[in-house]
Amino acid sequence: MSIAEAEAAQLSVEQPSGLWSDAWRRVRRNPAAWVGAGLLLFFVICAVFAPLLAPYGPQETVGSLAAVPPGPTAEYPFGLDEQGRDVLSRVIYGARLSLLVGLVSVAIGLSLGLVLGAVSGYFGGRVDGVIMRFMDLMLSIPGFLLAIGLVTLLGRGLFQIMFAIGITTVPIFARLLRGSILAQREADYVLAARSVGTPGFRLLTVHILPNSIAPVIVQATLAMATAIIDVAGLSFLGLGPNDPSLPEWGKFLAENAARLQNSAHLVFFPGFAVVFSVLAFNLLGDALREAIDPKLRA
Amino acid sequence: MLRYVAKRLLLLVPVLIGLSILVFAYVRALPGGPAIALLGERATQESVEAINRELGLDQPIFVQYLRYAGNLIQGDFGSSVLSRRPVVEELLDRFPATVELGFAAILFAVLAGVPLGFIAAKRYQGVLDNASLVASLIGISFPVFFLALIMKYIFAVRLGWLPSIGRLDITRSLEHPTNFYLLDAVIVGDWAAFVDVVKHLLMPAIALGTIPLAIIARITRAATLDVLSEDYVRTARAKGLTTAVIDRRHILKNSLLPVVTVIGLQTGLLLTGAILTETVFAWPGVGTWMLNAINNRDYAVLQGGIVFFAFLVVVVNLLVDVSYAFLNPRIRYQ
Repeated sequence: MSIAEAEAAQLSVEQPSGLWSDAWRRVRRNPAAWVGAGLLLFFVICAVFAPLLAPYGPQETVGSLAAVPPGPTAEYPFGLDEQGRDVLSRVIYGARLSLLVGLVSVAIGLSLGLVLGAVSGYFGGRVDGVIMRFMDLMLSIPGFLLAIGLVTLLGRGLFQIMFAIGITTVPIFARLLRGSILAQREADYVLAARSVGTPGFRLLTVHILPNSIAPVIVQATLAMATAIIDVAGLSFLGLGPNDPSLPEWGKFLAENAARLQNSAHLVFFPGFAVVFSVLAFNLLGDALREAIDPKLRA
Repeated sequence: MLRYVAKRLLLLVPVLIGLSILVFAYVRALPGGPAIALLGERATQESVEAINRELGLDQPIFVQYLRYAGNLIQGDFGSSVLSRRPVVEELLDRFPATVELGFAAILFAVLAGVPLGFIAAKRYQGVLDNASLVASLIGISFPVFFLALIMKYIFAVRLGWLPSIGRLDITRSLEHPTNFYLLDAVIVGDWAAFVDVVKHLLMPAIALGTIPLAIIARITRAATLDVLSEDYVRTARAKGLTTAVIDRRHILKNSLLPVVTVIGLQTGLLLTGAILTETVFAWPGVGTWMLNAINNRDYAVLQGGIVFFAFLVVVVNLLVDVSYAFLNPRIRYQ
C-alpha cells in the first residue's frame, strides 16, 4: 500500500448522498413525522388485531336496549350505544374499515392516475392534450361532490364507495406525475441513457419514474387522509356502506347525531377516531413533503 | 382586458351545452326514478307509468333532452317533482342562504387566516409559527360535520349561547325582499332580527370556514416568506421606511396574490362543505336542497342545480383571474 493510499483510507470521505437518503434523514429529524407515524402505527395495530384488542365483538350486545345509553364507565370506557353494544369495541373494529377504504381507494386512484400521467407526460402531443383536458374537467368538479354523484349512480356497496373516492383522486395523481416526468424528461441523465440506446419503455420505468415518484408518494399519503374524511362524510349523508354490520366511524356518528344532547359519547368517540387517523396521514404526508421538496426548506 | 373577459364568457357556451348533456344523461342513469321515490318501492306498474307520462318520462330520451334544452334557453329550468314549484323559484329561496353562509365562512377564514399566516411568517420558526402550523394541520383533519357537531354540543346544548338550527328564530317574523337575511334585516331596519340572524350564522360559518382558514393561513405564511427575502423589501428597509409601512405596502400586498387564488379555489370546496354543514344545522340552503333532490330523484332540481353551480364555479374562476390583473399590474391578459 502506498502512502497516498493509506492516507486516503484515513480521510473521511463523505458519502455522496442521494435524494432518498437526504429525504430520509430529514424525515427522521422531524418530530411531526414521528407523531404521525406513531399514530398511524396505533391505528394499524387496532385494525389488524381488532379481535384481540376489542373487549367485545362489534355487534355483540353487552348491555340492554336504552333510549339514553350509559356514557363512559370503568367497565365500558367509551360507554354503550342504544342497542347495548360496547362503543370502544365498535370504534376499534371501525379502524379496519377506514384504513381499508383509505388504502384501496388511493390504490385505485393511484394506479389509474399513474398510467394516465405517465402516458401523457412521456408521449406528449395530442395524447397529452386529450388526457389533460379530461383531467381538468374532472378537477373542476369538487371531489366530494363527484364522489356523491358516483355513489348515487353505482350504489352503496363498499367497493363502489372505494371506487368512487378513488376516482376523485385520479386527476391529481395524473397531473402530478405528468409534470414531474416533463421536468425529468429533458434532464442530462435521461439524455445520457437515451444516447447509449436505452429503449423507451425501460427509459420510462427505470430512469424517469423512480425520479418522478417522490411527490406522488407525498400526495398518496395526503389522499389517504382525504379518503377517510370522505367516506365518513358520505356515511354522514346516508350514502355510506349499506351493510349495517360494518362499524364505520362516520355512519356510527351520523346515526347518533340526534342523540348529541344526552349521549354525546356516541358522537365524540367515533368522531375523534376519524380526526386522529386523518391527522396521522396529514402529519406524515406533510413531513414527507418537506423532506422531499427542497424548496419548502428554508 | 374587456376582450379577454368577453372571450372567456363566450367559451362558456360550449362548456355549458356539454355540461347540460352530461348532467341530463347522469340524472337519468341513476337507479330508481322520481315515480319510485314519490310512490315507494311497492307502487303498482300503472301508477308508476301514470306519473312517468305526466312528467314526460315516457318519451324517447332525445325528445326529453330537446324539450329540456328548449326550455332551458328560455330560462325555464322546469319544476320540482316533489314540491311542484318552479326550480328557479326554489333556487332563489335557497341560493341566498348558501351565499350568505359561504360569504360569512370566507370572511371568517380571511380575517383570521391572513393575519395568522402573516404573523407566523414574521416569527418564522418561532413558537407562534410552529403552533400555527400544528393548529392548521389539526384544523384540516377535522371533518366539517364533526366540527359542526362539537360546536353545536358546546355552544347550543351545554352553554345555550347560540341557536342550533335554522337561519332565524321561528317565532320571529322578518320580511324577505332579498332572502339574504342580514340584508333583509338592514333594509327593514329590524336590528333585533339582525342580531338574531348573526347568532344563527355564527356556528355554521365558523364550522364551514375552518378548513379554508387553515389553508389560507398556510398559503399566506408561505407567500409572505417568499416576499420577505425579496430585494425590494431590503431596499425599502434600507431607505428607512418604518416596519409598519413595509409590512403593509411592500410585503402584505405582494403576498396576497396566491391568497386570492386559494379563495377562488375554495368555492367548490365551500359548496361541498355546505352540504355537510347545512345538514348539521338544518340550514335551508342549496346543499340540503340538492341532497334531497338526489334522494328523491328530483330530475329537474338536480339538472338545474348542477348546471347552475357549474356556471357559478366558472364565473368565480373568471373573477379570480381578472382580479390578478388588479393585484399584480405585471399580469396582462391578451
